[in-house]
Amino acid sequence: MRRVGCLLLALAAAAALLTGCAPEEHEEIIFAMDTVMQLQAWGDGAEDALTRAVQRINELDRTLSVVNENSDIWAINHGQGAVEVSPDTLHLVELALELWRDTGGALNIAMYPVVRAWGFTTGEYRVVPEPERAELLEYTDLGRLELDEAAGTVTLPEGMELDLGSLGKGYAGDQVMDILRGSGVTSAIVNLGGNVQALGSQSDGSPWRVGIQDPEDESAYLAVLEISDLAVVTSGGYQRYFEEDGQTYWHIMDPATGAPADSGLISATAVGASGALCDGLSTALFVMGADAAADFWRGREDFEFVLVDQAGTIWVSEGLEDSFSLAQGYEDRTVEVVRR
Amino acid sequence: MRSTRFWVLIVAAVLAVSLLAAAVVRLASPGGSVAEITVDGQVVERIDLDRVTEGYTFTVEDEWGSNTIQVEPGRIRVLEADCPDQVCVRQGWISDEVTPIVCLPHRLVIQVSGGTDAGVDALS
Repeated sequence: MRRVGCLLLALAAAAALLTGCAPEEHEEIIFAMDTVMQLQAWGDGAEDALTRAVQRINELDRTLSVVNENSDIWAINHGQGAVEVSPDTLHLVELALELWRDTGGALNIAMYPVVRAWGFTTGEYRVVPEPERAELLEYTDLGRLELDEAAGTVTLPEGMELDLGSLGKGYAGDQVMDILRGSGVTSAIVNLGGNVQALGSQSDGSPWRVGIQDPEDESAYLAVLEISDLAVVTSGGYQRYFEEDGQTYWHIMDPATGAPADSGLISATAVGASGALCDGLSTALFVMGADAAADFWRGREDFEFVLVDQAGTIWVSEGLEDSFSLAQGYEDRTVEVVRR
Repeated sequence: MRSTRFWVLIVAAVLAVSLLAAAVVRLASPGGSVAEITVDGQVVERIDLDRVTEGYTFTVEDEWGSNTIQVEPGRIRVLEADCPDQVCVRQGWISDEVTPIVCLPHRLVIQVSGGTDAGVDALS
């Protein structure tokens, strides 16, 4: 009996030694889609899966880029008549049209000429005066875009130009998650230029902790979301902006005015299963403002949100109530839980 | 028939080996905060910021441009860069893993890990 007990003890000790080694971490840092991307995955097969994920991101970058002359978007923007595009592009333009309708125009992928006029594509910033804004907005009516699903073509009216920058990173994140999941990876987290997408939980089983950046202090986060298997995407005025005569002008344009969105929000985070959807919605919520965003959310089941307004108040939709917490140093912030 | 002592020795040996292994793993990994500098995803420099006693600067040059990096005990920053936007320079010192310094035009990233736990896995 004693011998058996000792043998079991020895086995237990050996098991402890083996399981003491956590699954191996694999990491990739790449530059694509005009941003930096960090991909981390744990366990067997993670390394190969990450290599394929990076290839897929680069492929999507080439397809969706607004400046690459060989991209689908370039072909659409500079082509005549119906332009044949890849299934990825077709899918994203379809999603963009759906979100344009659903959000009452708050998300509009035809704002590229407006963004360019303000200088955000070149760095030569200027405040675009009202008559010019109205002129530019005439080319942003997505209702005039023709999409032929059967033929796989997109036709733009004269003067319209598309930019899928508000959906591309989220879609790339979804594709990365599919590749990793399909390779048997069960624990991964990627940060595609602020678009955080998680597969499963941490390798020890605990949820991922995703910080929401303080829009007023780049080096800090004001809240933490504990999530598994979700995308967390934030749009903020702090990400790209310029100042002129004491005024701040950021890159997120209100499609209704042709000027930087002025909804009272300084940051909008969308949380949900689909990265592409959250990517588009974070922009739309930022444009809508807290009240309209809350109403919009009440009509849907596919996302949750965290909003920060100019007064510093944080608005959290009730689905995140249990996973949301204020970060250290932000305990005094007012948090409003928005209910259905 | 082997004695109880034999098995006790076996258990003790296995435990000793596992403790030793754990100690080796722990000692081999740097204890303090480590700054890792990558260019286009490749590590070009790794600095244990807690072992820095005297400040110094060095320059990372790549096909996209040049960044002069300043190191002091426990912290690191980009002092100068010939990139157009100067985002990396304006960010200033970092000492934890919350917000890495990124020079997008030069594909350069400075990431600090270890040390004080940032408490988050990613930042959105």
